[in-house]
Amino acid sequence: MDPVGRTAFSSGVYADVYGELRRIAAAYMRGERPGQTLQATALVHEAYLRLAGDGALWNDRQHFIGIAARSMRQILVDRARARGAQKRWAGLDRVSLTESLIAAAADDAMLPALDEALTRLEAIEPELARIVELRYFVGMSVDETAAALNMSPATLKRRWALARAWLFRALSGGS
Amino acid sequence: MAGDALTAADMAQVRDLFEAAVDRDGDPAAWTQSQDAPDRVKEEVLSLLEHHSRAGSFLTPPEPGRLADIFLDTPALDPGTTLGAYRIERELGRGGMGCVYLATDTRPGRAVAIKAIAPHLTGSDVERGRLRREARAAAQLSHPGICTVFALEERDGEQFIVSEFVDGQTLRGEIAAGGLPSPDCVAAAARELALALQAAHGHGIVHRDMKPENVMRGRDGHLKILDFGLARIDPRPRMSDAAFDDRTSLHTTQSAVMAGTPAYMSPEQLNGVRADARTDLFQLGVLLYEFACGEHPFSAPTPVSTIGRILASEPTPLAGRRPDLPPSLVAAIECCLRKEPRERFVSATDLLAALDGATGLGRVVTHAGQDLSPAGKATWWSAHQLVAIALYFSGCVMAWTIKEWTHGLTTAAFVALGGIATIAGVFRGHLVFTERMNHSSFPAEWKRASAVLFTADVGMAALLGADALLVSSIRPLLAVFALAIGLGIALARLVLEPATTRAAFPGMIER
Repeated sequence: MDPVGRTAFSSGVYADVYGELRRIAAAYMRGERPGQTLQATALVHEAYLRLAGDGALWNDRQHFIGIAARSMRQILVDRARARGAQKRWAGLDRVSLTESLIAAAADDAMLPALDEALTRLEAIEPELARIVELRYFVGMSVDETAAALNMSPATLKRRWALARAWLFRALSGGS
Repeated sequence: MAGDALTAADMAQVRDLFEAAVDRDGDPAAWTQSQDAPDRVKEEVLSLLEHHSRAGSFLTPPEPGRLADIFLDTPALDPGTTLGAYRIERELGRGGMGCVYLATDTRPGRAVAIKAIAPHLTGSDVERGRLRREARAAAQLSHPGICTVFALEERDGEQFIVSEFVDGQTLRGEIAAGGLPSPDCVAAAARELALALQAAHGHGIVHRDMKPENVMRGRDGHLKILDFGLARIDPRPRMSDAAFDDRTSLHTTQSAVMAGTPAYMSPEQLNGVRADARTDLFQLGVLLYEFACGEHPFSAPTPVSTIGRILASEPTPLAGRRPDLPPSLVAAIECCLRKEPRERFVSATDLLAALDGATGLGRVVTHAGQDLSPAGKATWWSAHQLVAIALYFSGCVMAWTIKEWTHGLTTAAFVALGGIATIAGVFRGHLVFTERMNHSSFPAEWKRASAVLFTADVGMAALLGADALLVSSIRPLLAVFALAIGLGIALARLVLEPATTRAAFPGMIER
């Protein structure tokens, strides 16, 4: 993310949401809710319920989910950067690309590059970037994402396909 | 890239065309070509359709599969944030317990290290309470060879250990860099680490996780042991290859980052027996051996076979790998590596005595293979204690006899002498017992008792002297005996005892 984005992230609402996500995840890890696997969607929902209880700030649920999704993206990308993802990404053979790219999707090596591509996509079609954040970084289902963005699941599926094609092309370095 | 050259209006058109084409049966590309749109839009749609057909499972499944790991890895403290009185400067690294940060203590303005304890490691409130107590105990340790713990901070249910910041390199780094240390360097490392262990054991704190990663050489060239008293919160060791040998581990998996190091566990730890001070001595032996020759004493092709060797077979003789080391130093290291705790040195103090012999600073240099434990000296020390108790007894008998010949003050002197002799006798008996049965807490007990014993002995000598004065006009011979016993007690305390104690437990009196 650009420097401006980072600044926005580390202050104000983003910091609140990020802190809440961390707290909830830490509570899960301490075993306060044994026998459950923490899902990102559940995490975001719970963070919303907690913060919404605090006051009127979060009366717009969609707005909240958008911010939470952005937080998750930031968390994951920062973590990948801290682990030296760029170096591993640069080491991937992108000529024989399809296989390595699909394999990379399971690895966090790709995340910083994906983040940059997503920032470019955001500039021309913000909605597509939102879809990717919800689907990929939060792991929401097609129906959940469609509801969060106020569109029909069928439309969402097609836009998701477009976003994936666009990002796949961007990451494979082709045009 | 084509996508970037398009305007927002073009992009909307691209989107609509793509969406109309993507679900179409037949050939979406041909259908797109037939549509009425600018060429650059059609070109873009065709390119996207082409990539769509190749994208496969790209971006599915979603990334946040294992959320717990993500938050475990995410720094909890950004540079510039404050935690209590500490301002975070930067992340130093990640260890088995979580992130470590460099921070500034804003009060004295000194640099400190802050270790975040990953929340899942501290678990329940009970465990967090225990960590609090252990950190407090570790904070009592102040020794140049130990990285001092300053405080335990808590925020949002996460715990952070604030400790001295040691700028330097770990022994693991030195071992990995290759090149063998000189015999003097090995001997100095052994001595410094044994001194640090002696100080900690004197406070009743054992490390349980001594390994090259936990020893830092500061810029001044001296060694410091890290993470004292915190080993119990380390995650349960796992037998993964990567965890086993940090040199080959690139910390690729979470379990590898979190795992302990079975290669440095003592036989009794591997057997699930409670660790004590002698466990630290075993681990120190492994560490020194590895530092001396670059090889683990029980090295084997696989982690499991290394554990098997720790439990069952003798270490590869160090003399074969480092023939230039003094035999007594080799013998001291190998004595630490004995399987049975009771066959090792009884304490870090004994190890130090052997090392002082080895480095020529102290007494006779012992030969390899001989029992280096100065048990004989401890026996002399015990004999001294028993003789002192006998002197107390005869002092009491003398005071009783004097009381029979005179009246008044001598009765009070007898009562006082009896009381003091009982207390001092019990203390000495307790010391002998502790030295035999519970050696690890002996230095602490000795420290506690020595002030009492000093006062008692001087008091008894004074009382016997007073008795002698009082009785000297009636029974001069009794007075001479009383004076002799009093002098005996005083001399035994002031001259003999420092000597026997220093011989049996070198390093204890000097402190």
